[in-house]
Amino acid sequence: MTSAATRSAERASDKRAEALVASFERAGYTRVAPAILQPAEPFLDLSGEDIRKRMFLTSDPHGRELCLRPDLTIPVSRDYLASPGAGKAHGFCYLGHVFRHRQNEPSEFLQAGIESLGRPDIAAADAEMLALGLDTTAHYGLSAPAIHIGDVGLFAALIAALDLAPAWKRRLIKDFNHKSSLAQDLERLTISASHARPEYQGVLAALAGSDPKGAHALVTDLLSIAGISAVGGRSVGEIADRFLEQAALGAQTSLPRETRALIERFLAIAGDPDEAAAELRTIAKDGSLKLNAALDLFESRTGFLAARGVDVRRIKFSTAFGRGLDYYTGFVFELHDPQGRAEGQLVAGGRYDGLLTRLGSTKPIPAVGFAAWIERLAARGGAA
Amino acid sequence: MSAPFVIAVPAKGRLQENAARFFSRAGLELIKPRGARDYRGTIAGLGGVEVTFLSASEITELLGQGMVHFGVTGEDLVREMILDADSKVILIDGLGFGHANVVVAVPQAWIDVHSMADLDDVATAFRLKHNRKLRVATKYINLTRDFFSAHGVTDYRIVASSGATEGAPAAGTAELIVDITTTGATLSANALKVIDDGVILRSQANLVAARTAHWGESERAIARLMLDRLASEARGRAFREVRARLADNHDAMLADAQKRFKVEIPFGNATSSGMVTLHCPPGEVHALASFLREQGAEAVTVADLGYVFARDNPLFTRLEAGLAG
Repeated sequence: MTSAATRSAERASDKRAEALVASFERAGYTRVAPAILQPAEPFLDLSGEDIRKRMFLTSDPHGRELCLRPDLTIPVSRDYLASPGAGKAHGFCYLGHVFRHRQNEPSEFLQAGIESLGRPDIAAADAEMLALGLDTTAHYGLSAPAIHIGDVGLFAALIAALDLAPAWKRRLIKDFNHKSSLAQDLERLTISASHARPEYQGVLAALAGSDPKGAHALVTDLLSIAGISAVGGRSVGEIADRFLEQAALGAQTSLPRETRALIERFLAIAGDPDEAAAELRTIAKDGSLKLNAALDLFESRTGFLAARGVDVRRIKFSTAFGRGLDYYTGFVFELHDPQGRAEGQLVAGGRYDGLLTRLGSTKPIPAVGFAAWIERLAARGGAA
Repeated sequence: MSAPFVIAVPAKGRLQENAARFFSRAGLELIKPRGARDYRGTIAGLGGVEVTFLSASEITELLGQGMVHFGVTGEDLVREMILDADSKVILIDGLGFGHANVVVAVPQAWIDVHSMADLDDVATAFRLKHNRKLRVATKYINLTRDFFSAHGVTDYRIVASSGATEGAPAAGTAELIVDITTTGATLSANALKVIDDGVILRSQANLVAARTAHWGESERAIARLMLDRLASEARGRAFREVRARLADNHDAMLADAQKRFKVEIPFGNATSSGMVTLHCPPGEVHALASFLREQGAEAVTVADLGYVFARDNPLFTRLEAGLAG
């Protein structure tokens, strides 16, 4: 292709992307254009080291770390928090370049997307994101993408409802976000108490049955007698707490068999949302687990999706589906080319209710959004 | 004369002394024709070779870019600085100096943390409690990332540190560190301890070849010659020469000695008069001497070996295999 032809193709693709964002604006979302150069800190703190190694980092003459924005969710959220409207429900849309080192595709690429911040009607907002995501692929001529959805909130509710030590709960929740197949991972999971030093076993056993307050005071005192003060951000109290937590775990170093079976049964559920909900109700009933709030939300969301004209039988739901980012807290989804021609997802998003708090908001602000990979859509989608 | 064969050697400190001694023992005398402050040199009696004196991290960078043929640098720097190192360089041999471990160290006060699994749990608990991630101070960003990822630790962030990393926890700029240690004394002095399974890499100085440098006939010839000398010196150090006159029926007995004492027989079995020369690892010399006399040898002499030039050249073989692969 000549460079003139390339340019004209680029202009056509720009026009199409502009039209997409215009449709977001018509749907009530305010178009924003956050700075390309962003402070690196929030990304480093929120996105994890696996994103960091793909980021383009630099620094200013004062030594402040800056980066080329690797996504727009954090920049849009930060600008919102800094604005007078912070805390109020407001929807934003954007079209702009993001920068992430990628192996087989250019590291500078276009994303369009939506962030819906502060809306209290969770189920309706979730459904609206998926519906707008489907409009996005349709805008590029792909009217029936493969729809994968999950709900991190269901797994969190399951773990919360189980009778498990806090260390186990932390571990399972963390691994859900980071393992592609937690089901296989459960097999080899053991809790860290098994690694406790033999010389501590006696002390831990002795402390196991004792009054928690007294034991805590003892450990704290012992540490201060040894002249050990808090270094590195963890207080002596925190250290004592976890030391005693290990004592409480005692011999329970692997997940109880029936709990594991229950989690595996839960994670095996996949199908369309209505079938899945029925199965989840059965599991909840069999295990006398209180999953009502999470399940009600799930079913209500499916209802909103149907009301928006989405054929819910085409949706592939899986309890094990996660997007591998620990800031998602609820609904997650990805839209793919059904023929698998594209390298990755065409549109993806989800709910991240914890993010704004972690960016400094004093009160929790619900948030949900999605991003679309413009070049992938333009290359894989059909004619306009 | 085409472009020279370039070998990069540390310019300063103990690494430089050790490297110079290492090459000199192998009959490769590094010379600086314009005095000690010169950063360019040659090797005595070996034409077409340019020696460039640089810092270990510069050497590593040049190796990664294929700008030098050989370099002496630490494996820690190779693994940290060169992305997908094995596709870019060949670690030809550990040189027996510059030993250091890259380790994960946490405050001694963390009595509940002994393993990476503990650290994983603490990292998650810390994030949930403090709403921020545990900070790891290090200059080994890539090594840390890969090691933590292999242990499933995700709730942390790296704080780049260029010096005095071990002071970071006390200074409050990080909760833990990944750093290099030789004796652990500096860590203890800063109230830090190494996690049991937290040794990321046992590093030493290595002779490293750059795969992407230009390797023509003349470069390979020079490399073969240098590696031949280095290998002969290494082999000379690895063995003692043991000579003895044996009684009759010695073939079976020699086979036995080979098995029991890891002995090599460089010049074939005993002569008609029973004289034999053996190469024996230093640790087995006394046991071998007793054995030979029990088997009827009159006298046994043991001597140090300067060099052992063998037909094969294992270091060059490694280089060739690496360049082909």
